[in-house]
Amino acid sequence: MTATALVRRPGAFATAGVLRTVDHKDIGILYVLLGIAFLAIGGLEALLLRVQLATPGEHVLDPSTYDQVFTMHGITMIFLVAIPMLIGFANYVVPLQIGAEDVAFPRLNALSFWLTLFGGVLLYLSFVAGGAPDAGWFAYAPLTEPAHAVGSGMDWYIFGLAVSGAGSIIGAINLAVTILLMRCPGMVMGRAPMFTWMVLITSVLIIAAYPILTSALVMLLVDRQLGGRFFDPAGGGNATLWQHLFWSFGHPEVYIVVLPAFGMISEIIPVFSGKPLFGYRFVAASGIAIGFLSFGVWAHHMFAVGLGDAENAFFSATSMLIAVPTGVKVFNWLATMWRGRIRLAMPMVFAIGFIATFVIGGLTGVSLAVVPIDLYTTDSYYVVGHLHYVLFGGTMMAVFAGLYYWFPKVTGRLLGHGLGLVHFWLTLVGLTLAFLPMHLLGIEGMPRRVWTYPPGMGWDLPNLVSTIGSFLIAAGAIALTVNVWRSIRTGERAGDDPWDAFTLEWSTPSPPPSYNFDAVPRVRGTRPLWDRKHPDRLDPV
Amino acid sequence: MSAQANALPFTRDRNLVGIALFIGSESLFFLSVVIAFVVFREQGLATAKAQLDIGRTALFSVLLFASSGTMGLAAGRRSRAWLGLTALLGAAFLAGQGLEYARLLGAGLRPGSEMFGTTFFTLTGLHAVHVLVGLVLLATLFAASSARPSRVGQTAWEGIAMYWHFVDAVWVVVFAVVYVGTALG
Amino acid sequence: MASSLEPIVVLSLVVGAIAAVIFAGVLVALIVFTVRYRDVRTGSATQIHGHRGLEIAWTAAPLALLAIIFALSLVTLGQIGQGATFGSLEPPLHVDVIGHQWWFEFRYAGGAVTANELHIPVGIPIELDLSSADVIHDLWVPELGAKSDVVPGQRNVMRLFTARAGTFSGECAEFCGLEHAWMRVLVVAEPRAVFDRWLAAQSAPASGAAGRGLEVVRSAVCSSCHVVQGQVAGTPIGPDLTHVGSRTTIAGGVLANTADALRAWIGDPQRYKPGALMPRVPLSSADLDAVVAYLESLK
Ligand code: HEA
Ligand code: HEA
Ligand code: HEC
Ligand code: CUA
Ligand SMILES: [Cu+2]
Repeated sequence: MTATALVRRPGAFATAGVLRTVDHKDIGILYVLLGIAFLAIGGLEALLLRVQLATPGEHVLDPSTYDQVFTMHGITMIFLVAIPMLIGFANYVVPLQIGAEDVAFPRLNALSFWLTLFGGVLLYLSFVAGGAPDAGWFAYAPLTEPAHAVGSGMDWYIFGLAVSGAGSIIGAINLAVTILLMRCPGMVMGRAPMFTWMVLITSVLIIAAYPILTSALVMLLVDRQLGGRFFDPAGGGNATLWQHLFWSFGHPEVYIVVLPAFGMISEIIPVFSGKPLFGYRFVAASGIAIGFLSFGVWAHHMFAVGLGDAENAFFSATSMLIAVPTGVKVFNWLATMWRGRIRLAMPMVFAIGFIATFVIGGLTGVSLAVVPIDLYTTDSYYVVGHLHYVLFGGTMMAVFAGLYYWFPKVTGRLLGHGLGLVHFWLTLVGLTLAFLPMHLLGIEGMPRRVWTYPPGMGWDLPNLVSTIGSFLIAAGAIALTVNVWRSIRTGERAGDDPWDAFTLEWSTPSPPPSYNFDAVPRVRGTRPLWDRKHPDRLDPV
Repeated sequence: MSAQANALPFTRDRNLVGIALFIGSESLFFLSVVIAFVVFREQGLATAKAQLDIGRTALFSVLLFASSGTMGLAAGRRSRAWLGLTALLGAAFLAGQGLEYARLLGAGLRPGSEMFGTTFFTLTGLHAVHVLVGLVLLATLFAASSARPSRVGQTAWEGIAMYWHFVDAVWVVVFAVVYVGTALG
Repeated sequence: MASSLEPIVVLSLVVGAIAAVIFAGVLVALIVFTVRYRDVRTGSATQIHGHRGLEIAWTAAPLALLAIIFALSLVTLGQIGQGATFGSLEPPLHVDVIGHQWWFEFRYAGGAVTANELHIPVGIPIELDLSSADVIHDLWVPELGAKSDVVPGQRNVMRLFTARAGTFSGECAEFCGLEHAWMRVLVVAEPRAVFDRWLAAQSAPASGAAGRGLEVVRSAVCSSCHVVQGQVAGTPIGPDLTHVGSRTTIAGGVLANTADALRAWIGDPQRYKPGALMPRVPLSSADLDAVVAYLESLK
């Protein structure tokens, strides 16, 4: 069962071949397909939220349904869309980029995919088994304690996240070992492609952060099923302990879902600017710095909890510091474009869009790191605006860029440019309309996670605009779907190297054979293909 | 096989590196449960002082610590005898835990009865589950190396030894925090 | 200072301006590079690999900017944080705030208790002592600036201030379950004399009209959850009704406090606030009218 057959004939899913495949390319594709399926589900949930919030006093959803839908939307997008998409890309691309024939543990790789899928299924089973989780994606205790969450929703949350989390940990160990030990001759870490670098850092973050979530889930389970008291203040427990544990995981988590995106952008911008990545070593090092810092900022989600001014100031400082290495990346991308020869193919269009929208999200993030500003904006729609600018304007825009970039490698065919532009503009305009007004709503005092709101607060128009924007994003998603559909059937043939790219995955056929390379590649610099194509102008070593 | 240009200095074995990363992940898991124990330590101290059998648990702990030594010998020599002894020591430790649990449950302590019950049973219970998994691994290794000694690679011995040492090391911390900490007051 | 919001606004404007400049810079560079270096010429670009000086510059410059922002934020924190006086010399007025699913209880020193309606005097600091009866809530009055979580098992203190009289709308900001949306409050800031008169009236026991209404509230299930000080010795599970007639809204802002609305609410709370912890109490139409008349008389 090859990767191509999988994409060309969706019917092949039914065959046992897919169920038993352990090829990293097949697993990668399965991951991305899983992410797309859940994107449709999470997206439809988002549209439901937006319909309910379009006007004040709407009754499309009742409060109980609304709470389940916004909770499942957040969980789905983070754990079943962003993570699988990025791990999927990593699975497909990393072994090719480092000249390996597969990942270190192909069977474990398949296991981690199936665990992720199973975790997702568990989460969604809750809908038919007495109600989905309804306490938000970070599920603050004591709202989740048995006294306040009577149904089984929170138990599904615990098991769903624990199972899919186990899948992520196994997947991350696999990717980390692959990158550490299976690079082809000559590829010291200092020459590894930037996407590979960022996947390595993300993997380490997953290995370190997910167990903290698992431990918190176990404690919650003890509380719920064995009468434990960890998070129950009435029984001597501590409501904020959950928050500390959750965000010790949760903040690294948000960098887990953005570092690989940074990696994709760091691949695409150089290729389409016809120049090497500006400041390779600084871009890699800033990734490491972000990784370390991400474990020291968690309490910026807790400024209003009452930790004390000194503690708040500390976490404010560390949070602001993260802007520095992130800025280093942004500036290096811009410098890569500077004096380049820029080709505006779809991957590059999305990469440019990514920079513009991500920087907005990053800057609002810095404003939230300023304690007095956060004390005003926290738990308001301003935060919802921030998180969508970084997650949609950041991660998802990069995922789209990566999709247009690597699709030809996976299928052997190019995605259409015209439909691509339709997708891009609908997405960019849609996300601006959907998420920019949210900042205004927050400033005007609208709290997040409300199933409805009173009229006359100045919230009506921004909400309506936001709803319209969300439907434009969905229209964009449909344009993408049509594009993919058409390309798989009748798309232009891509050849091995349609983008005149730099890294090893473009030196093998599209789609690559199951063993990836005919001969083990050897590399001498960061851009093996450039060196091969320009023997007269080799990169300095 | 793709040649590896620059493996890590300590080892080239991908299985062992993978296990090392897994153990790193598990360490953070236990660290956060230990932190939760410490957060509520004050609240549970009186019960802990009254109920825990520190002497006997110390004795059984010594057995577990010794099993790390025997596991080292077993892995170094691929010795089934040492492996068997390791498993026996591990099982003895679990039995000791069982006695402690039986006594505490007999005295009415439950995960839900008071804060000390919650933290004590969660922390030691999670460790015991890991010991149990370790015992299963030891048994599997024993069986496999009895049937076809040559088919069991050195990696399997070393990997399982790493895990066993880890389970042991966790108990060093748990014993220090739960028992020694209680004794010191 | 006009209010406890003011320092936050000032800081936000500074940070917002810095952010706007940075964003504009990035956007301009992005657009200019895209247009200027668009692939029109032939041949390939000069291969530039990096520049150490630039790297240092764009590490140092943001660091400096952030240091400034951080320092300013500490100043602001001093102006609004624990023990802030907002330039007033008078001691703060204390109010105990208790979060319930899904309403706020305000308790004043003299014994006055209200629900979802906080009256404060202008010109002096207000110190709110926040605690929760169940889950985590969060009290936020946007026009007065900062918010604070209301955490069970923990007492948080928040200081607010306004020099301007007016009615400000606020709410619970931390998700706290089904009716988090309808956990709204009104803050009425009034001149000291008016406030004092209000507080005196609220501290007095109830003087509602005796009659059928009082009888029903006293005997029916109502008293298993509500107290009317001086008239109904109930269990204080729901809002204190001693002066319910004086409030602007009921049930966390779902309804205006009119006779019709009261009748509708008591007749079927779940219809207006699905999930609210007040059950539907079957009362005959006449009894309902009597209860409403009684509650209305609790000024
Ligand atoms: C992809 C995910 C992602 C990313 C990358 C970020 C990035 C950042 N986030 Fe965000 N954040 C979330 C996802 C993310 N966040 C989510 C999901 C939540 C909400 C969770 C919930 O409550 O549900 C959240 C919430 C959140 C809060 C808590 C808000 C609250 O609930 O009260 C805070 C507070 O400090 C914060 C800060 C930051 C900061 C400082 C960054 C920085 O890393 C940003 C750095 C980037 C830049 C600054 C732009 C580029 C830099 C330059 C151009 C250099 C020059 C810049 C300066 C000198 C300022 N975030
Ligand atoms: C990657 C993360 C991600 C993404 C992509 C999104 C995408 C969107 N989100 Fe989400 N959101 C979160 C992460 C994300 N969100 C998180 C973490 C929260 C916090 C949850 C919490 O508070 O606990 C949140 C909360 C949140 C809220 C706040 C709820 C509340 O506080 O009450 C709202 C409200 O409008 C919202 C809206 C949207 C919209 C309109 C989109 C749109 O971009 C979606 C557009 C739709 C699509 C992209 C799907 C289109 C597909 C189809 C129409 C089917 C086509 C068919 C095929 C493709 C086969 N989101
Ligand atoms: C089981 C408890 C319970 C019973 C019985 C009960 N209530 Fe309530 N009541 C509540 C709660 C809880 C609230 C707050 C609801 C909210 O805002 O979410 C409330 C709110 C109210 C309010 C609005 C108060 C305000 O200031 O917002 C009125 C008026 C009221 N109840 C009247 C009555 C009357 C009259 C009866 C009897 C016929 C009654 N209640 C029976 C629990 C109860
Ligand atoms: Cu109380 Cu939200
Ligand atoms: Cu964060």
